[in-house]
Amino acid sequence: MLQRVAFLFAILVCLTMGTALAQDKAYINGIDANYPPFAYIDQSGKPSGFDVDAVDWIAAKMGFQVKHVPVDWDGIIPNLLAKKIDFICSGMSITEERAQKVNFSNTYWEVKNVLIAKKDSDLKAEDIYDKDITIGMQAGTSEAKWMADEKEKQGWKFTIKLYDSSPMATEDVLNGRIAAAGMNYPPARDAEKKKPVKIIGSFGEIEEFGAAVRKEDTELLETLNKGFELLMADPYWDELIDKYLN
Amino acid sequence: MQTNAKTPLMRVHGISKSLGGREILKSISLNLYEGEMKVLIGPSGGGKSTLLQCMNYLIAPDRGHIELLGQHIDPGNHRELCLFRQQVGMIFQDFNLFDHLCALDNVSIALRKVRGMSKKQARERALSELDRVGLADKGHLYPAELSGGQKQRVSIARALAMDPKVMLLDEPTSALDPELVSEVLAVIRGLAQNGMTMIMATHQMGFTRSLADEVLFMQEGRIIEQGSPRVLLAEGSKTRTLDFCSQILDVEGGV
Amino acid sequence: MHETLDVLMDALPYVLQGAAVTIVAVIGAMFLGLFIGVPLAVGQVYGGRLIRILCGLYVWFFRGIPILVLLFLFYFGLFTLLGLNLSAVVAATIVLGMTSGAYQSQIFRGSILSLSRGQLKAAQALGMSNAMAIRTIILPQALRLSIPGWSNEYSIILKDSALAFVLGASEIMARTHFVASRTYQHLPLYLTAAVMYFILTWIGLILLRSLEKRVRIKGYVH
Repeated sequence: MLQRVAFLFAILVCLTMGTALAQDKAYINGIDANYPPFAYIDQSGKPSGFDVDAVDWIAAKMGFQVKHVPVDWDGIIPNLLAKKIDFICSGMSITEERAQKVNFSNTYWEVKNVLIAKKDSDLKAEDIYDKDITIGMQAGTSEAKWMADEKEKQGWKFTIKLYDSSPMATEDVLNGRIAAAGMNYPPARDAEKKKPVKIIGSFGEIEEFGAAVRKEDTELLETLNKGFELLMADPYWDELIDKYLN
Repeated sequence: MQTNAKTPLMRVHGISKSLGGREILKSISLNLYEGEMKVLIGPSGGGKSTLLQCMNYLIAPDRGHIELLGQHIDPGNHRELCLFRQQVGMIFQDFNLFDHLCALDNVSIALRKVRGMSKKQARERALSELDRVGLADKGHLYPAELSGGQKQRVSIARALAMDPKVMLLDEPTSALDPELVSEVLAVIRGLAQNGMTMIMATHQMGFTRSLADEVLFMQEGRIIEQGSPRVLLAEGSKTRTLDFCSQILDVEGGV
Repeated sequence: MHETLDVLMDALPYVLQGAAVTIVAVIGAMFLGLFIGVPLAVGQVYGGRLIRILCGLYVWFFRGIPILVLLFLFYFGLFTLLGLNLSAVVAATIVLGMTSGAYQSQIFRGSILSLSRGQLKAAQALGMSNAMAIRTIILPQALRLSIPGWSNEYSIILKDSALAFVLGASEIMARTHFVASRTYQHLPLYLTAAVMYFILTWIGLILLRSLEKRVRIKGYVH
C-alpha cells in the first residue's frame, strides 16, 4: 500500500521535474505580479501588464524567447543574482543602491510618487509630514526607502508601515488602519479606478524605470536597450500607454 | 544420562556481568549436554534471567565466552552471532510475540527473512510447528486475540521452527494465570521427552522434580548448589534449594 | 456583491491550480520527511554515540530555525552554491521536507520507544540482524503508531507551505495575492483561500484516518 503510494508519487515528481527541464531555453523575466498596471496576473491566470506586453514585443522583435515569472518583490534581486530569473522588467526604479548589484537599461518610463487616501478624506499630501499618522508603503521599493531616509533627515512625525504590495496598503487605507499610502502614480491610478480612494498629492522624486540584468550579462542588456529604443519609436508604444497607463 | 566424556553441546565459560555498578553474574560456568534438561532456581534478582540472556549474547557479558559444539562464538562478528542465535531458541517470560503479525506469521517470519525460505515453504513449516503446540487452528489470530498460554505456545513454535540445538527458557510460565500454566508445561514436557536440550528458569517444583536432569540453585550471581533434583530436593535434606522451594510452595499455595 | 462573485468565479480556476501546486509540495514534503525521519529516529534510538549526536544536530538545526529563514538560506544560499538550479516549488518542497523530517523523527522516535524492548530481543534471538529486526519488526509497528502524529504533521506542513510564495512558488497564497492585487477584492479572496486550506486539511485527515483503520491490527490496544 505504502509502496504503491510512494511509486505513484515518484512518477509525479519525475513528471514535474521532467516538464521543468523540457522547457526550451528562454529568458525569464521576473515580475512583481502585485504591481498593476505594469505587471499583474490577468483573469485567465497569465502574466499581463504594460511591462509584460512591452517585453513580449521586444522579444519578438529581437528574436528571443521570454517567459514571465512572478517573484516576491522583496526577493527579486536575490532571485536575479541566484540566476533563478534572467532580468527584471517590472516597474523597477533605477537607484544607486540597486545599481551596485545589477546593471540597468536606459530609462523607459518615468513616474512620480503619490499618496492616496480615502475618497472622503480631507488629508493633503503636504500636511502629512508633521502629523502623528501612519503611512503605508510597499517594502523593498525605492519610494519606501526615500520616505524612510527623508523622515530620518527631516524629523518627520508620521510612522511608516511596510506592506508586501501596494494593493495591500491600499486595502488598509480603506480599512482606516492607516491614513494614507504612498506609491508610484500608475498603481495609484489603478486603485483610484477600482476603489473609493483618491490621490491627494505627490511626494519624493521622479522615478525612472529601467530593466535590470546581472552585471555580467552585457549582451542581454544591449538587446533590451535596443529593443526599448525600437519599441518607443513604434506606434505600438502609444497603444500600450493608452491601454494601461491612461 | 550425562557422560562427562562427551563434549558438551554448549559450554558457558566464566561469564561475568555488571549492570549499573552491581555485579549480576560472578564468573558462571556450566555445560549443557545433548538431550539434557537443566533447571535454574533461585530468588529473583539472583541472575537467572541475565545468565540466560548472556547465553545468546542478548546481553553482552563483560567477561567469559560461550561455545556451541566446541566452537567459540565471537559476538563481535555480527554474521557469526546471527548464525549462532539461530541455533539457540529463546523463550521469554512475557512471550515477546510480534504484535503486528498473526500467529502464523510470527512463526514464519524468521524462516523467510533469516532462512530465506519461500512464502509457501515457510507457511507449511509454521503450520506444522503450530500443530505441534496444539494451535493449528489459531494461525490467523493476532497476539492480542490469544490467551497468555496460547501466546507462549506460539512463541515456542516460533523458536522450534528455527530447528534450535538448544532452548533457553526464561520463566516461561511466570506471567501466566494459574489455569494456563499446564498447557505450556505440557508442550515443554513433550520437548524434553523428544530429547531437546534445554535450560530453563522456573519455579515449577513438580515439573522440576519429574523432568530436570540437574538443578542449579543461583543466588547473588553464583551457582551455589547443583545436583539432581532427587538429591537436592529430597525430604529432610538440608540444602538451600529445598529451603528456598518450601518457601515458594508456601507463598504459591503449592503448585 | 455581484462584482465580488464575478471576481471569485473568475479567480477560482486560477487559484485551484495553485491548490494542485500546494498538494504536490505538501505530499512531496511529507514523503521526503518520512524518508529522512525514519532513519533519523532509528539512529537516535539505536545508533552509537556519534550517530546519535549527528541525528540530534540535524533535528536541533531544523527545529531551531524558522521555515521562512530556511527557505531563503537554502533557495538563495545552499542550492545555488551547490549549482542546483531548482524551481521555487521543488526548493520549497525540499526545505519543507527536510524540516518535516526533523519533526517526523520525533514522532517516530516516540513510537519506537513506546514499543516493548522485548520484541527486538525476540527478533535478535531468532537470528535476525539488528537492521532486519528494526525493519521487519519495529518499524511496521512504530509507523502504525505514528499515523495520528503524522496527521498533525500533515496539517502543519500544509499551512507552512503557504510560505513558499516568498520564493515565487505559485501556490494558493501567491495566486490569491496576485488576483487580489488586480481586483482589490482582498477579503473575499483570502476567505476563499482559507476555505481551500480547510478543505485540504480535512481531506488529508480523512485519508490518514482511513489509512489508520486499514492497517489497524486486530485486538491491538496500545
